[in-house]
Amino acid sequence: MKKIPQPIERMLDKTFDRMESFVHSHKKVNFLFGALFSAFDGLLRSSKDTAATQPFIRNNYDVKRFMGAVLVALVIGWVFPAIYFYGWQCVISKLIVSFIIGVFVVDVLWAVIAREEHISEGGFVSCLLVPAILPPQAPLWLVGLGAALAIIFRNVLGGVGHNLVNPAIFSRLFLTICFPSFLVMGYQAPFTGMPDLHSLRYGLDAITHATPLTAFKANGEVASFFSLLMGTSGGSLGESCRILLILTGLWLVKLKVVNWRVPLSYLGSVFVFSLFFSLILGKSVAPPIFQLMSGGLILGAFFMATDPVTNAYSQSAKWIVGIGCGFVTVLIRDFTTLSEGVMYSILLMNLLSVPIQSLMVKIRYRS
Amino acid sequence: MKLFNPCKKKEIPGFHGGFNLLETYPIRFCNVIEKVSSDVAPKQFVFNSPQQKVEQVIVNLCPTEPWALPNWVTLGHDTSSFLDKLASLRAQCFPAARIAIAISEKEGKHITEAIKYAGNTNWMTAHPLNPKYPQNDPVVLSKVVLHAEVEFGTDTTTQGILILDAQTIAAAYESNVLGNKVNSRFIAISGTGLKENEIIRVELGTTIGKLLEGRSKANGAHRVFVNGPLCGREVTDLSQEIDWSVNNIVVLEALNVKVMFPMIKQEEMSFTTNILGEVRQCVYCNFCDDICPMDLEPALYYHSYTRGEGHKARSYNLGKCIECGLCSFICPSKLELLQTIKACKALD
Repeated sequence: MKKIPQPIERMLDKTFDRMESFVHSHKKVNFLFGALFSAFDGLLRSSKDTAATQPFIRNNYDVKRFMGAVLVALVIGWVFPAIYFYGWQCVISKLIVSFIIGVFVVDVLWAVIAREEHISEGGFVSCLLVPAILPPQAPLWLVGLGAALAIIFRNVLGGVGHNLVNPAIFSRLFLTICFPSFLVMGYQAPFTGMPDLHSLRYGLDAITHATPLTAFKANGEVASFFSLLMGTSGGSLGESCRILLILTGLWLVKLKVVNWRVPLSYLGSVFVFSLFFSLILGKSVAPPIFQLMSGGLILGAFFMATDPVTNAYSQSAKWIVGIGCGFVTVLIRDFTTLSEGVMYSILLMNLLSVPIQSLMVKIRYRS
Repeated sequence: MKLFNPCKKKEIPGFHGGFNLLETYPIRFCNVIEKVSSDVAPKQFVFNSPQQKVEQVIVNLCPTEPWALPNWVTLGHDTSSFLDKLASLRAQCFPAARIAIAISEKEGKHITEAIKYAGNTNWMTAHPLNPKYPQNDPVVLSKVVLHAEVEFGTDTTTQGILILDAQTIAAAYESNVLGNKVNSRFIAISGTGLKENEIIRVELGTTIGKLLEGRSKANGAHRVFVNGPLCGREVTDLSQEIDWSVNNIVVLEALNVKVMFPMIKQEEMSFTTNILGEVRQCVYCNFCDDICPMDLEPALYYHSYTRGEGHKARSYNLGKCIECGLCSFICPSKLELLQTIKACKALD
């Protein structure tokens, strides 16, 4: 890796030291900017804590790298394909709004008001997920509101490590209830073919376009699997390019950031249950492969249901939660008027994971 | 549950989890230095065979920590002469015992010789083991080699199991069979706080300060650990004397300062006492129960303890914990899980 010249490094280090002593010596400055400074400091410098008790060496892997891996996977998995399909003007503006409102306004304000000691990097993941699960034509204020809701909700419950349900999905549920028209109507046809400067900036002209699942609900039309896999069939901003989502998800599995049990049990149970229902009910319900490849299932299975905080802790409970997610998803897709059920299934199983976890502990340690 | 497990090779039955420290912290010892003498008269090594009848002897030739004394120091290139010594020691001290040689699978030549030797006898077996930490812990070793359940913290000799390392056997042979006096032992010293990693023959009773004199680096804060930084103890008083139980001494840089751009300096930072991250809340990442060699869930104890229900931890198989420290070692939130476990154990 490239080395940073020694003098510059030493100068930066001294500057940071001076800033740190300035922030800590002025009470009001510390009150307002202490958390912000320590977050920025933590990005560029290591902590100076040493292990006080056994074991005296620690593994070189911390929560920052954990979250960083998810961020990299999400950028490759949905930001790049979304720029290709809908143009950077649509995607980047939403990301900027989401990050500024979610992380730099709400999280920083919260740190000041609630006197938190540090700003968690988990906010970046939530704010990167919020635009991904909204339609491409969602207005910017909706994205900003979603990001703000997600972060407020997470912080009210006690921050990363205490949130009961996935904050990004919770904020989408809230937006679905308050502004249903924006979330039902805002889907547009993605750009396909050789990209040029115009398409990379604007995408196609905004024509509303049904998602594959609503098209199936309306007239039983099954989109081609290739278009679903490549993402040329439309949908929410971040859910469409499934091949990249699967690849980055598998990369996270390899890094052990994502527990392989959850996507396997989720996708497997969606396949099994939808196969079961389509064998009984025939063509009135969606066929299994189509169900696997459509909607937000891949994004949800690899990036949202696997959120370790909201999922159950025990390995065996993770199987149950994954299977439950799959079952509820298929039930909602097949038997209700709603076309997509991933959001509700993950929310429901996030809530149920607490009793499932305590039940599994009781079963495992019964004596 | 084991339908799909891409990263792991074939596992030894009864032990999953663990961590390969030898690959993470490669330490090479080059030179062997003969004898650092203590200023006073050196102490003698005495080998007492235990009071109880010894049924099983496990010879631990499987160091799992890179800073531990390597086998070649005692064994050299001649495994069979070492095994001959072992045979005559057995004949004198514990004639009825069966001997199991637990040997690292990385040492191919020693394994073939040990298996060949064991084939000619009816009292010896050789067990090639995967050298991942904590394979050589008494509880894990007797579970994997003998399938015997030993409780952590109890003396294994009460169950008729005697665990010996190579150097103890060589010294016991010298003193009990040949009748010579043994007053020195090999010690491996290593770490980022030293100029060189060395193996030194030390007279028993030498102080640690005298041993490290002129060998540690001049600049920066250093911390000294006896028997490894993972499950050993920290020594602040360097006038302590070295006795037979000291296998190795590790001197690490404390690194108690902030380092600019840690992401591009991971290698130079990794073998220090810095916790390499910031303390955060538990994110339920399952790293601790993936790595736990005893199949426990350390985060469960942590959450019980922080909620003030530490007494509940005992019903979650807390007694099985061997305090290897891997859960604290791996935790990305840098929680003091081992301390929590010890606190839960102390609650009663």
